[in-house]
Amino acid sequence: MIPAKKILNTINEHWQTLEMLFKRFRFANFSLKDVQNVIKSKNPSYSSERLFKEANKLLNQEILIPLAKSSQLEINRAIADFISYLLQEESLGLAEEITVLVSDLERLGNRLEEAGNVGDHGELRRFSRIMDERVRKIVKLYEHNESAIMNLVEQAKADHSSISLQKRYHAVLDAFDEYIEPMLKMVDIHGPFQSCFSKIENQISEQIINLGQVGRGPDDKRMLEQLRTRILDMHLIGRESLRKSADMLLPLREELRRNTLITRQTASVLGLIRKRGVEAILTPVQPNYVSDVQKFSLGQQRHIVSYMAQLSDFQDEIYELPDALDIPSYISPTIPDYRDVKSRLSSFKGKKTQLLGFLTDSYPKLDADELLFLYQKIISDSDFALEQQTAKRSVTIAGQQFTLYPFNAGIKQNGSL
Amino acid sequence: MTTINLSDLSELQPIYKKLAGGYHISEQDTVLWQQLDHQFESYDALFYGLGHELKRDSRGFFYFGADESTPNMGKTSRSFALTLFVLIEHFANQGKDPLRALFDDVIDLELMQTVVQLNKHLFDQLEIFSGSELRKEVYGRMVRFGLAREVEQGHQHLAPVYRYIDALMEVNDSQYDLEEDEVE
Repeated sequence: MIPAKKILNTINEHWQTLEMLFKRFRFANFSLKDVQNVIKSKNPSYSSERLFKEANKLLNQEILIPLAKSSQLEINRAIADFISYLLQEESLGLAEEITVLVSDLERLGNRLEEAGNVGDHGELRRFSRIMDERVRKIVKLYEHNESAIMNLVEQAKADHSSISLQKRYHAVLDAFDEYIEPMLKMVDIHGPFQSCFSKIENQISEQIINLGQVGRGPDDKRMLEQLRTRILDMHLIGRESLRKSADMLLPLREELRRNTLITRQTASVLGLIRKRGVEAILTPVQPNYVSDVQKFSLGQQRHIVSYMAQLSDFQDEIYELPDALDIPSYISPTIPDYRDVKSRLSSFKGKKTQLLGFLTDSYPKLDADELLFLYQKIISDSDFALEQQTAKRSVTIAGQQFTLYPFNAGIKQNGSL
Repeated sequence: MTTINLSDLSELQPIYKKLAGGYHISEQDTVLWQQLDHQFESYDALFYGLGHELKRDSRGFFYFGADESTPNMGKTSRSFALTLFVLIEHFANQGKDPLRALFDDVIDLELMQTVVQLNKHLFDQLEIFSGSELRKEVYGRMVRFGLAREVEQGHQHLAPVYRYIDALMEVNDSQYDLEEDEVE
């Protein structure tokens, strides 16, 4: 048996060495040479003889112990736990650990009730003590896991360039899958923990009442009361710690998700580009820039689009082109109103009038074509009785010579004007 | 109706000059950025009246929105996009956090040469054949548009690069369109 104080002294003396060994090898093994090297790096002034002696001292005091059937060494588990506790370099436990402890607590609760029912106060005290032990252990586990998660987060955040993304987040994702999520399910208000704890609480409360009725010493009663409070407190601590851990891990998980999303998207987009060409894929999505040329151009696409929209909305009013027949032919302003001519002709009573003679006499100022226009109008008028001469005649109208079969006109016998 | 007090807009001229040239004003242009940040509404209204759309991105930069690019600008923008996407892939392949590397890492000539070599057939389409051409054609212009800045060893991307990451995420939809076209 090596005196504890001696071990503590050695640990104190070689703390730097132990810390380095622990950090470098964790729970893996190493050789005596490694130990000597570490001691040397921490104490460069040591002679090789001294190095050998110091390394042996660690071995003799069972701070370092050899692996079975091997010359490799490892740090004594108890010491390693102690170091990890001191350095807060805890590794994340499993949700299972806590679950087992809680179900054990439930079993102990049943035993406690039995003992109380048969009035075995010795047993009652014993189980109460064991339960108390378990509760402390669970609380410790919660705290332990919380600081382990803190380490995880720090590692994931620190020195991002040297380790790969996958490695960096591997621990984070594992922590989520193996610890946070199952634990959150457990401590959920409807989860198994809650029902277990309320059952234990009931059992203890009953025992407290029981003890009061039997009138046993106040010590037992206070012990049970303390246990009950501690269990409730533990539940609270657990919830708090889990919430904190989840809060620390969530942003990292989000970051990872976003990064994998971007990476995946990049891979698929580049794949598309490789298949179909840069232009085809990127043209529709690429950001556009204002450029100097655009300042002088007619308009941007949106201007033209709105212009087009106006065009497509355009509705023409229905405009009918006039019929060719409806156009009044040109009538020289000097031509008298046909109605006047008509009435004048009708007033020529009696004989059939020689039309052209009548017209030249009545309208001496008109030109030949104008007279002919009136002539043509009269001969196509059905109100007059017309008669065409059979012999060709030459007529002079307004200084022009015409040869024609002239019409004579008279008023129709039955017609009236 | 926004009342614009022109005497408050002390940096109007440099801001307009930069934005109208397609430049992105990000936080590195401290003075201009602060002006825009404080007087955003005035500047927005003023530029709107001039036919520009001042856009403010929550990731910390301002620019003039445009619906389309001139053919030359379109090509430049495509080369930016391709370079950035290829870099993201490159960083991811190296196991780095691609986004963080995109903003934190210095893009030096060596890296440019590597990515051009690795994606030769893509850069060929943009008529970029070497790392130094990439530096000249792409990074020179990126600096001019405020997407990157020159540092000692090379170039470093700035926040407006997020426009391309948005574009990257946008490809999804058009991708479906293409696939539908194939089915038809």
